[in-house]
Amino acid sequence: MPVTDPVLLKRIPTAPWGDPKKRTIVGYDEYVRSGGYTMLEKALGMTPEAIVTEVKDSVLRGRGGAGFPCGVKWTFLPPPDGGRRYLAVNCDEAEPGTFKDRLLVDFDPHLVLEGIAIACYACRLDTAYFFIRGEYRHQAKVMENALREAYDKGIFGTGGLLGGTSDFAVECYVHRGAGAYICGEETGLLEAIEGKRGWPRIKPPFPAVKGLFGRPTIVNNVETLAAVVPIIEHGADWWKGMGCESSIGGPPSFGPKLMGVSGHVNTPGVFEVDLGIPLRTLVETHCGGMRGGKKFKGAIAGGVSMGILGPDQYDAEMDFDIGRKYEVMGLGTACPTVFDEDTDMVAVARNISRFFKNESCGQCTPCREGAQWMFKLLSRIERGDATTKDLDLLLELAGSMGIMPGTTICGLADGHNWAVRTIVNKYLPEFEARVKPYHVPVSVTVGAS
Amino acid sequence: MAWIVKPSATTQIERRNEPYLTKEMRDGYTADLLPRYETSMGALMPILHDVQHRNGWIPKQAMEEIAAFLGIAPADVLDTASFYEEFHTEPTGKYVVGICQSIACEVCGHKAILDHVRQKLGIEPHETTDDGKFTLLALECLGSCDTAPVALVNDDLHEGLTIEALDAVLDRLPD
Ligand SMILES: Cc1cc2nc3c(=O)[nH]c(=O)nc-3n(C[C@H](O)[C@H](O)[C@H](O)COP(=O)(O)O)c2cc1C
Ligand code: SF4
Ligand code: FES
Repeated sequence: MPVTDPVLLKRIPTAPWGDPKKRTIVGYDEYVRSGGYTMLEKALGMTPEAIVTEVKDSVLRGRGGAGFPCGVKWTFLPPPDGGRRYLAVNCDEAEPGTFKDRLLVDFDPHLVLEGIAIACYACRLDTAYFFIRGEYRHQAKVMENALREAYDKGIFGTGGLLGGTSDFAVECYVHRGAGAYICGEETGLLEAIEGKRGWPRIKPPFPAVKGLFGRPTIVNNVETLAAVVPIIEHGADWWKGMGCESSIGGPPSFGPKLMGVSGHVNTPGVFEVDLGIPLRTLVETHCGGMRGGKKFKGAIAGGVSMGILGPDQYDAEMDFDIGRKYEVMGLGTACPTVFDEDTDMVAVARNISRFFKNESCGQCTPCREGAQWMFKLLSRIERGDATTKDLDLLLELAGSMGIMPGTTICGLADGHNWAVRTIVNKYLPEFEARVKPYHVPVSVTVGAS
Repeated sequence: MAWIVKPSATTQIERRNEPYLTKEMRDGYTADLLPRYETSMGALMPILHDVQHRNGWIPKQAMEEIAAFLGIAPADVLDTASFYEEFHTEPTGKYVVGICQSIACEVCGHKAILDHVRQKLGIEPHETTDDGKFTLLALECLGSCDTAPVALVNDDLHEGLTIEALDAVLDRLPD
């Protein structure tokens, strides 16, 4: 059964069900009028273990980029010991091309808060920080207002979780970032909440065991937490009716997914679709096709870190298998940026490399220095000043940095690695046409001197 | 880039008699912010945001005052303040015009807009006009890629920009 009705976007008009122009912020009263916070009530009637089991059974995979099963992550928490336990909500959303969490916060903040409340109750977490990127200024205000309402109405705070009917209480605060992409990485995010520079931590220990202020912490993406609400409402089996099984024997990709499409399409935007939808269908039926009727040249798979889908991969299914099937890193945030036939792929690579150069936190030498170097090489190639040797050097550098080659602390460097390598490999003739042959001058004397 | 080390031993701290952290601000932080975090340093980012919001940027004297208030080293405050792009440790113009330069905006024409603003204001990214009215920034993805190209002017996001639309926004800003 495919997604027939909006799930997370129930209250946010979106094509094909509604008109995006009619979107308004859903306040507490309207949220409750349309059935809001009844799932928190239902959850409070369940045991925490039963909620975790339901989420585990649904195979809800993290929507923040890594696709880690949410319920399984929750079971990594040690049993409560009387000390504090935290939820860190990841609304950093700074991955270029990604703008899906913003839609939920913009218009239906209480759905996110209900998900947060249920997750905290299920995992016995007493404090939640809603970490939101600094540039989301309007969104931070929307969330602050929604939180104030939720405190007033007995969701959070002492006497909260529905007016003190539960023996559990949760505090929830907005914590604003300040313009550093690296704070999206889960341990960089924890450092930022602690007031430090957003330097990712070496793992283990993982946050579930030793996270914020050294205490057990769960880090989840906004969309992941919002998805917990309908899962409690309709159950794991219903959730598993949407999305798809793996076609290559891997873990499944169940449920609907918010996909934000940008770039050269007629009607860019966020859509709620089944995981597994072919990119072509997403572009042709939801985004009104390619802009100006131009030909598809490629698309960033889901945030620039994931690398690129080439001209012959327009039919790629947008699910968690995508990495193994189409030579990209993975599904990422499932927000593709689409390029038409006129796009200069060397410029695309240079742009993405500049992003990673600017955003490297500087802890690991391969990432910090490699990023500078790669950006310079790509700029040189773009200007036509490079040689074939520079292209080889670029690929060698790219392939040497990241967690996967084992040279860095966090995945930012892998993103740079995958973005650059996949673009160069899939559009090699374009790069080769921009570089000059590399001549080694040799002088040879013929005959006796 | 936040991790470039700048020599700080010779830093001159400009001072004024009036503190940046007023009693009212401190009381507010004590009541609202400190209880939210297990350590006092947890409150550092919200305080830096607040000081910048009131003052436009974060002077070194304010950093010292924050450090004293939180009971941490001034260097810890400088460390955090200098890491995050959004915290300005130098004065900025009255209006900060940040134009997104990431991928969706680039392929949807950010360059024409950036070039136009450069010419119009006569400054390069990270510079401020002589009259102190505008600071120009080239920012990374603002999370509004579906309406590219976009720019953040102080707290307001302007989407689906054209040169004319941005001109209209900038021309309307009072001195
Ligand atoms: C460099 C980097 C940036 C990231 N940025 C984000 C982000 O902006 N938002 C997000 O939810 N996850 C981001 N992640 C993934 C998080 O580390 C983490 O996996 C995620 O928040 C977990 O939530 P989930 O399991 O609900 O997906 C990023 C990871 C890396 C390595
Ligand atoms: S890989 Fe890059 S961003 Fe990640 S910790 Fe190392 S230097 Fe920082
Ligand atoms: S690329 Fe400009 S807003 Fe995302």
